[in-house]
Amino acid sequence: MKRKILSTALIFTMILSAILMLTACGGSSDDSAGSTPAPSETQAETKAPEASESETSSDDNQILFNGSTSLSPVITAIATEFNETYGTWNAYDSSLPEKDIAIYVSAGGSGQGTKAVIDGTTDFGMVARSVKDEEKEAIQDEQEYQVGIDALTLAVNPENPVTGVLDDLSTEQIVALFSGEYATWKDLDSSLPEEEVVVITRDINGGAHEVFQKNIMGDTEVKAEAIQASSMGELVQNIIDNQWAVGYASYGVANQNEGKVIPLKVNGVAPVEENILDGSYIIQRPLLLVGSGDLTPQQQAFIDVILSKEGQATVEEMGFIPVK
Amino acid sequence: MRRKFCNLMGKSIILFTAFGVVFLMFLMLFHILSESLLAFTEIGIHMFLPDAQWRPVSENPQYGLMPVIAGTLYVSGLAVSAAMVFGIGCAVFLSFYVPKQIAKVLLSFIELAAGIPSVIFGFIGLTVLVKWFAGHFGMAAGQSVLAASIVLGIMLLPFVVSTCQESIQNARNTYELVALALGFSREMLIVRIILPAISKGIVASAMMAFGRGLGETMAVMMVIGNSPIYPKLLGRAQTLPALTALEMGSIEYGSRHLSVLYAANVILLVILLLTMVCGHLLHRRALQNET
Repeated sequence: MKRKILSTALIFTMILSAILMLTACGGSSDDSAGSTPAPSETQAETKAPEASESETSSDDNQILFNGSTSLSPVITAIATEFNETYGTWNAYDSSLPEKDIAIYVSAGGSGQGTKAVIDGTTDFGMVARSVKDEEKEAIQDEQEYQVGIDALTLAVNPENPVTGVLDDLSTEQIVALFSGEYATWKDLDSSLPEEEVVVITRDINGGAHEVFQKNIMGDTEVKAEAIQASSMGELVQNIIDNQWAVGYASYGVANQNEGKVIPLKVNGVAPVEENILDGSYIIQRPLLLVGSGDLTPQQQAFIDVILSKEGQATVEEMGFIPVK
Repeated sequence: MRRKFCNLMGKSIILFTAFGVVFLMFLMLFHILSESLLAFTEIGIHMFLPDAQWRPVSENPQYGLMPVIAGTLYVSGLAVSAAMVFGIGCAVFLSFYVPKQIAKVLLSFIELAAGIPSVIFGFIGLTVLVKWFAGHFGMAAGQSVLAASIVLGIMLLPFVVSTCQESIQNARNTYELVALALGFSREMLIVRIILPAISKGIVASAMMAFGRGLGETMAVMMVIGNSPIYPKLLGRAQTLPALTALEMGSIEYGSRHLSVLYAANVILLVILLLTMVCGHLLHRRALQNET
């Protein structure tokens, strides 16, 4: 009797695992077929819910975003709130169809964003830098919508005596500090102690470093001894913990840690909102949405939401400078 | 009839799962190798020249991996040495000087530490160790090979303690009664008989701990400074897994830089494979010797 129960149980588990395995195999083979070009994978992924929704073409009712990892949390947050508040397009504006709002955001870097617009696999590319000329040419009827500005502040530890001597660094001084030409703080100003300048950067192939490299360093390399932090939070933590550190903290994170890190002026310009907005503070980058051609009514509606008071408040909450 | 069918079915499913796992492993290996092909064909030996630097995004990119490979070996080696000293001591103490029941409880607590996420170790390292180093060693920044080795050593301890404890138990079963009958004191027994008997086991366990240390990413990344230069004890360095984790996220797909990172991981796999194989061989020999 016991045997029989055991064997039935065994058969049952076997069948179960066989079914599981078959479905798993089916899934994986499907996957490998669909994932050859990277952009089409995201498209396949985002189109799935649409198919189950309705058979009418709901292309206009969904908006796809792809690109910068800095910008994607902002768009995601605005889209989530927009979706939760209204649910369907006609709830926002009665002239729009009664269809579910579907906004999909995928991140993979600014370069991927413009590439996806060129390939036509996304509606908007999220780009956290200015659009390059060759990209402008490749996109048909290129349109840009600025969402906000990201700025990097040059921050030091409050206990660093440099804060009492200088509150301003020129581009040349910053380059000398970061490239290792000034090995100690004494090289910057003779009244400062002979302590090593501890340079802290983000990973050197990321977007934040790209902005710093382009706007300040030019062709000069950051010294190899620089500490690379894996996130903005870690970078600021390093400055808080180290008296002799200097690094570029993003505007938002530096403001969160007001008093624990001291931002310096760059070429006499303080990193405050008005200077960033009028462009006189130079370590900054635009946060752009890049599209192709005219907007559909739905796209126009969502862009309006991003540029509305609430949308811009979200931009500010995420540590960036709103444009409106 | 039915039983036969059951047996057949069971066998085939077991076979299927077994091959499935092996197939997956080979698939991953194949993927890593095929992605690194570009680096090996286009850059090749330039990756391994001792004076090549790691400057992947410069105007004239250089992809020198040697400083990073040296850093990986240095940090793991140092961490394992530290972990072995404390680990063996702890295992001996637990086996000989603590009542069995209490030792069991203590051992399970030590093994529990292996389950703590590595980012926690990294964060403690960053906020306590690195800060303390900067204040007390006259270093400009606390991020250093030594800090990373200490954090990594602590992470390896649970593994070292439990494998050494196992070896000691085996050796004890064989030699203890005889030695005591001959009038050996407990300390004599430990120093003259148990430790020599498990020496091979210790080496094997060190090898396997070394293998684990090589692959540790997060905790090391947070305390080592991530500067791709040749490692010095109190200087900053970079390890292969930390380099990969740091740079993988923002890389353009299909670029040469990405391929070099895959190549770096092929190197890591080769080093790992060599240590693991040596470790396992020694471990098998050691088990035979002890009993």
